[in-house]
Amino acid sequence: MTADRTAPVPGRPLRVMVVDDHPMWRDAVARDLSETGLDVVATAGDGDEALRRLPAARPDVVVLDLQMPHMDGVRLTRYILSAHPRVRVLVLTASGEQSDVLEAVKAGATGYLVKSASREELLDAVRRTADGEAVFTPGLAGLVLGEYRRLAVAAPDPGPNPRDTPKLTERETEVLRFVAKGLGSRRIAQRLQISHRTVQNHVQNTLNKLQLHNRVELTRYAIEQGLDTET
Amino acid sequence: MSRVADGRAADRLPPHSTPDRTDSGLWTATNAFRTVGWTYAAVIAVLDRTEYRHPAGVLLILAAMAAWTLFFALFRSRPPWLMVVDLCLPVAFILLTPVVDTSERIQDGAHTVPALWSAAAVLAWAVWGGRRAGIAAACAVAAADVLEIQGRVTPQTLYNIVLLLLLGVIVGYAVEVLRQGRRELAAAIAVEAATEERERLARDIHDSVLQVLAYVQRRGAEIGGDAAALGRLAGEQEARLRSLVATGPAPQDPDAEQDLRALLGPLSGVGVTLTGPAGEVPLRGPVARALAQATGAALDNVHRHAGDGARTWILIEDEADTVAVTVRDDGAGIPPGRQAQAEQNGRMGLSLSIRGRIEQVGGTVQVTSAPGEGTEVEMRVPRENTR
Repeated sequence: MTADRTAPVPGRPLRVMVVDDHPMWRDAVARDLSETGLDVVATAGDGDEALRRLPAARPDVVVLDLQMPHMDGVRLTRYILSAHPRVRVLVLTASGEQSDVLEAVKAGATGYLVKSASREELLDAVRRTADGEAVFTPGLAGLVLGEYRRLAVAAPDPGPNPRDTPKLTERETEVLRFVAKGLGSRRIAQRLQISHRTVQNHVQNTLNKLQLHNRVELTRYAIEQGLDTET
Repeated sequence: MSRVADGRAADRLPPHSTPDRTDSGLWTATNAFRTVGWTYAAVIAVLDRTEYRHPAGVLLILAAMAAWTLFFALFRSRPPWLMVVDLCLPVAFILLTPVVDTSERIQDGAHTVPALWSAAAVLAWAVWGGRRAGIAAACAVAAADVLEIQGRVTPQTLYNIVLLLLLGVIVGYAVEVLRQGRRELAAAIAVEAATEERERLARDIHDSVLQVLAYVQRRGAEIGGDAAALGRLAGEQEARLRSLVATGPAPQDPDAEQDLRALLGPLSGVGVTLTGPAGEVPLRGPVARALAQATGAALDNVHRHAGDGARTWILIEDEADTVAVTVRDDGAGIPPGRQAQAEQNGRMGLSLSIRGRIEQVGGTVQVTSAPGEGTEVEMRVPRENTR
């Protein structure tokens, strides 16, 4: 997973692409990012445009809105990451559509931020996304916790291959609950008497397992439906 | 709420005020039956014309029957007076039979002048008001029949009375079932239409208003000062509007399951983050409402005691056996011992408004706090009590 996602070249400004169908927001986000020294290499108003411009723009991070006409952010995330696995996706959404956020994250988005977040939070999130660090807001932690529990209920008995259904370790659950309740990772590290880095790893792990499971499920679905023969 | 009131009002409305295709079909059938009944009575009158005491009187009654049959078929609505007249006429014609016919013929079991025509009134009443109205009309016609033969009830009379009652009950019952089904269908269609409309509104609002409000909030915070206050207001309205378009109509049945997430939605806003699973968290109505009210009380507590600028997180967890809602703030916290003391004195809202509500639905409340560490209120309700 980390092998094909090399960190951006140090010393050069981060290359960012902004995808939002709302011109006001697209410009505001692009302006905020470029004012702080990031290189906004492209903007796009919808998914098709984004995919057309992506190869030439070669961004490190794509900041995208979930609700867009023609192609929603979840599908766009999937397309971007299958064609350009090195690009990282940060979802910026004005909506409370929690299931869309979850789908985008399962499709490989590294983080998600609500549009009401401040400019500093946005900059911080873009930088952390570029570093490959999950942008784990309390909202996302709650969603991920809920998703693991939904998976556990959907498959109560571990099948012949227990790895089929991803599960949280006790520590991971503990960490996720802390994040969901608004504690910062340093606070969590203090409480659990582990290092800040370990907290980050736990959080990242919960996301990786979910994304892996999602890919396996999609592949299995494709094989079952005979879709793999088309390629 | 208004939906509930509307539904009840619709139930109370007399059936004749809600005409539609099925109703008009029923009335057409009633009119057809009445016409057949009149033809039958007329044929008997023609066959027996020489035997009546007053053939002219019989003719007059038949003419009145024909006139009423026509009038009833052409009259557009079915007000109560029309139905009363519709029942009084056959009763009167039955009671007039001894006047126009000979007592010998009546004792021999001759038909009344209206004969089968009087059954049409029973049918009409059953269509109009269901089972009870049908039975009432059947009883009235039967009573007139018994009076006409001066109480000398023959097996044939009894048989006719039973048939009249059956007509009233069966048709009345069928009509009630039909109307009930139609009401349910209409309610379902209304809910579907409302949901569709809300989804359309939600899309529109999301594409325009929410984006602008979120933008105003963000720019306001950046500019600072008065603009920041305006931005905060915009943010509050954004949160309120978002939960408004996300929430469905309240169910008519208070015991029906409600989505806890939707109930808690309006509580989120500036400084309050609501988080939980992506899907619905269905709980039995009273339990869901108790949790929502207790959560609201916990938030009030934060506003009062946690200090300015405290942020709050609400976490919903849908576990196998329990549903938990945790309200945590990063405020001043409660010094050790203070809370127990306050609860003993009954001063703090925590004991009654939170504990009381949660324990009433079989749940538990756990409060953890330390000075400077904020306060965490964890409320848990068992699943088995909620399903």
